[in-house]
Amino acid sequence: MNPKLHSVLTINGERRDVLAPASATLLDALRSVLGLTGTKRGCNHGVCGACTVLLDGKLARACLTLAADVGERAVVTIEGIGGNGGLSPVQRALVEHGAIQCGFCTPGVVIALSELFARDPRPDRGAIRGALSGNLCRCSGYAKIVEAAERLAGEAR
Amino acid sequence: MSALARLHRPATVEEAVRLLAGGDGERTRLLAGGATLVAMLNAGLVDPAELVSLAAVDELRGIGTLPDGGLRIGAMTRHRETAADVRLAGTLAVLREAAARIANPVVRNMGTIGGSISFADPAADYPPALVAADAAVEIAGPQGRRRVPAREFFVDWYATALGPNEMVTAILLAPRAPGLGSYDKLYRVAGDYAIVSVALSVAWRDGACARAGLAVGGCGPRPLHLDEADELLRAGRLGAQAARRAGELLAAAADPLDDVRASAAYRRRVIPRMVERALAAARDELSRTA
Ligand SMILES: Cc1cc2nc3c(=O)[nH]c(=O)nc-3n(C[C@H](O)[C@H](O)[C@H](O)COP(=O)(O)OP(=O)(O)OC[C@H]3O[C@@H](n4cnc5c(N)ncnc54)[C@H](O)[C@@H]3O)c2cc1C
Ligand code: FES
Ligand code: FES
Repeated sequence: MNPKLHSVLTINGERRDVLAPASATLLDALRSVLGLTGTKRGCNHGVCGACTVLLDGKLARACLTLAADVGERAVVTIEGIGGNGGLSPVQRALVEHGAIQCGFCTPGVVIALSELFARDPRPDRGAIRGALSGNLCRCSGYAKIVEAAERLAGEAR
Repeated sequence: MSALARLHRPATVEEAVRLLAGGDGERTRLLAGGATLVAMLNAGLVDPAELVSLAAVDELRGIGTLPDGGLRIGAMTRHRETAADVRLAGTLAVLREAAARIANPVVRNMGTIGGSISFADPAADYPPALVAADAAVEIAGPQGRRRVPAREFFVDWYATALGPNEMVTAILLAPRAPGLGSYDKLYRVAGDYAIVSVALSVAWRDGACARAGLAVGGCGPRPLHLDEADELLRAGRLGAQAARRAGELLAAAADPLDDVRASAAYRRRVIPRMVERALAAARDELSRTA
């Protein structure tokens, strides 16, 4: 019962071996097997957005994705979003604008905004709010998060 | 602890059906985007022994044009793709609007049309839209393929016309006709399931209504639809009086529940208002465009 499955996942550009129960989600694999704890577990059922990652550049909930079903899709987590250990423009905008309170929602917010800015470097307020609509901030810091993203969009203008 | 022991990733529908049929009944389940199934697995609400992932089945992906000009939406098509497809215009716009109103961008990027209709949550957005558009559901099983009209596919709370070891392969849509489609959703907060939703598909030719399809979601075990209401709207050319009468008929036929989102009484009260609002918007749009 419950034997472990072996998968090879591409995470932040590296091939990683994962040995985990068949029921393990990508979130379990990231946090408990690979020690990549930047991706957070809030609700574990798709509602809060804290576990949001990119799969082949597209948004996904790591808590709703089985590790064994990721297949060839390349995973990018918060640890890989900056590249070379630095901060990405989205991360820098959030830091500079004080858009972080406890920080629990921040990894998911960074991923959601990174996907938006990759598609549209100059999103307006409506597009920013739409892109963040799947991310809950328990500290209710939405205004600052939206303002930080607007400022980043303004810089691209 | 989960008993899940295997995850299959077949490449064809036939192979997926074989794996289902060879499994241990309810203990073998299909996995689409995982948006509902993995959440249930995490919560211990389901305990499958084997999963058959549809992720590698090419045939189920994307939206194609049929020889007759109609469209075929593969079961694994994500809500995000459906929400962005400009071929879903005219009478078929109802489907595009419904897809765009599901949850949030991340869930729309994971959830699939096949998973949504197979789970058949009565508050989900596709079921009333497919009923309004009079779509058909293509099903594959050990005996081969068959088609079921969407109006017969949804049979009860979380229950569909799918038999044992059958799966949804596609949604089939007749060629779009000039006219309009709309989807209106009343919710507690944007991104939540509907309290009440109204799906409308109207074919309009030479100032006359050739066909009207109206369905209400969130108000009973299956999408609420009455041929009589459709016919009233068609014959009355979507007029205010026909809209009022259709709304009353649907409210009387509704079988809503009290739940966390709203009471049954509230839903019954809201149905006619939402139907009238949808028809007023439709008249408005037709007067500008037709
Ligand atoms: C936070 C959140 C909010 C949501 N909000 C909404 C909303 O506002 N409106 C709305 O309509 N929906 C909403 N949903 C549902 C979502 O849009 C998906 O449609 C739904 O979760 C089904 O997901 P899936 O396609 O990933 O299927 P899965 O979760 O993989 O599967 C769902 C069920 O269908 C079965 N199944 C899957 N594919 C097939 C097939 N081809 N043939 C037969 N059986 C199949 C599976 O065995 C399983 O029982 C929400 C979901 C979440 C997580
Ligand atoms: S932990 Fe995945 S959405 Fe909340
Ligand atoms: S900063 Fe605390 S949850 Fe968003």
